[in-house]
Amino acid sequence: MEITKVNRSKTPYAFLALGVLLLAIGSYYGLYVAPAEQYMGNVQRIMYVHVPTAWNWMLAVLFAFGCATVYLFKGDLKWDARMEGGLEVGTLLAFLLCCQGSIWAKPTWGVWWDWDPRLTTTAVLLFAFLGILALRKFVEDPVKRAIWSAVATVVASIDLPIVYMSVKWWNSLHQQQSTPQTVASAFHLPLRVNAFGILFVMIGFIMLRTRLAALRLNQELAVPPVPSAEEAGELA
Amino acid sequence: MTQGVIVGGWQYVWMAYGLTFSAFAIYGVTLLVRLRDAARRESA
Amino acid sequence: MLVAALRKELLLQWRTRGQLMAVFVFGAASLLLFSFAIGPNAVALRTFSAGFLWLGLLLSSTLTLTESFHAEMENRALEGLLLLPSNPRALYYGKAIANWLQLTILGVALVPVMVVLYDAGTTSLLKLLSIIILGTAGLSAPGTLYAAMTAQLKAKQTLLPLLLFPLIVPALLASVKATSLVILGDPMAQSGSWIGLLCAFDLIYWSLCGLLYGRVIED
Repeated sequence: MEITKVNRSKTPYAFLALGVLLLAIGSYYGLYVAPAEQYMGNVQRIMYVHVPTAWNWMLAVLFAFGCATVYLFKGDLKWDARMEGGLEVGTLLAFLLCCQGSIWAKPTWGVWWDWDPRLTTTAVLLFAFLGILALRKFVEDPVKRAIWSAVATVVASIDLPIVYMSVKWWNSLHQQQSTPQTVASAFHLPLRVNAFGILFVMIGFIMLRTRLAALRLNQELAVPPVPSAEEAGELA
Repeated sequence: MTQGVIVGGWQYVWMAYGLTFSAFAIYGVTLLVRLRDAARRESA
Repeated sequence: MLVAALRKELLLQWRTRGQLMAVFVFGAASLLLFSFAIGPNAVALRTFSAGFLWLGLLLSSTLTLTESFHAEMENRALEGLLLLPSNPRALYYGKAIANWLQLTILGVALVPVMVVLYDAGTTSLLKLLSIIILGTAGLSAPGTLYAAMTAQLKAKQTLLPLLLFPLIVPALLASVKATSLVILGDPMAQSGSWIGLLCAFDLIYWSLCGLLYGRVIED
């Protein structure tokens, strides 16, 4: 009997395949077809992975927050499995975001880190999620683990806008925000294609990671098999 | 293609794309390996 | 109920006041070490004195917060408390207020150390005190929540800072900025907005953590 139902469909693989395809198309367009930007030259092409990663990271955080909240209300461990998926994939995306931002900052600002509010907020949330993942490793009881990490995820997610605002006020370097409105239309296509590409890859990863979490939960909570009559007789 | 104020910089572009895609690939592979191990343990 | 919980916490703190002394020494030692990290550069030391004060306070808080659950962990007193017809929220606020008081005392005690080591004196003592009160409140609310979780785990010393530090970044930023403006001068009257941020953070986290505490200590 499964404590948590494990989805075994092939859908995540479809998402992954579609995502990879879109990323290939979008990146090809972004690297070779789209024109170089007026001031930043070819370095601007980093945006075609950086901005989609940023959008999807925020979705992952929202997803983890949503699952944590639902779990705290409903107590159904399948939401804990989903939250675990969101946490881990969100951590991956946050890490990538910090690296990409760093690689972008070096040629444009001359430093590896420029305390840009969005990037700094990502770094803070990266550490917060790493802390929650560490917490999960140290708690053995699955229900306690679920409740505590859900609480920590809720607290960390609510902190996100506060961290962003405070770093924005604190920071002195100003950065032009790059959203589609401020980016010329020639750059829209690779941005959007890659955004969906990373979205589908992320969905595939979260579904698979949730599956892994559910499998592990079932193994943890498995009831040991009831001995048969003969075995019971031998034990007596 | 017109050159911007920042000349060249392709190595940074490759660094960024390379890191992103290899991270996805490595994560995907480790995830599939972990899944296979868990499924094997389940059926055992 | 809250008053009873608070009385118990304050009594416990009074009985273990020797530990607070030790934590104060730890905090003062940290401030000393920070100055060695910068070097005998009087201008630099004064510029960063606010940061050092709050970092020292933050590091010290990991000690006091973990200790605050020591009594509950002995003889499984936490379960005993839960068996009483008591409101977990009252337990939380009692402990959080006591921790807050402890950190405020620590903060105030470290100010003279900061003044001496970094030549970072100020005449706006009332403002400094209010910043310390608001900033330590920001540390105490989430700190008490996480200390309740990690006190029950083997890796409590590592996990509490790991969980707490990213979370309190806004409180740290605002406290340091506001304190810095008080010490170094505030020509454009910016400290008000930082204190406002601190108040908002405190309000949000004192309510949120109180709401969540019951789930954290339930069995």
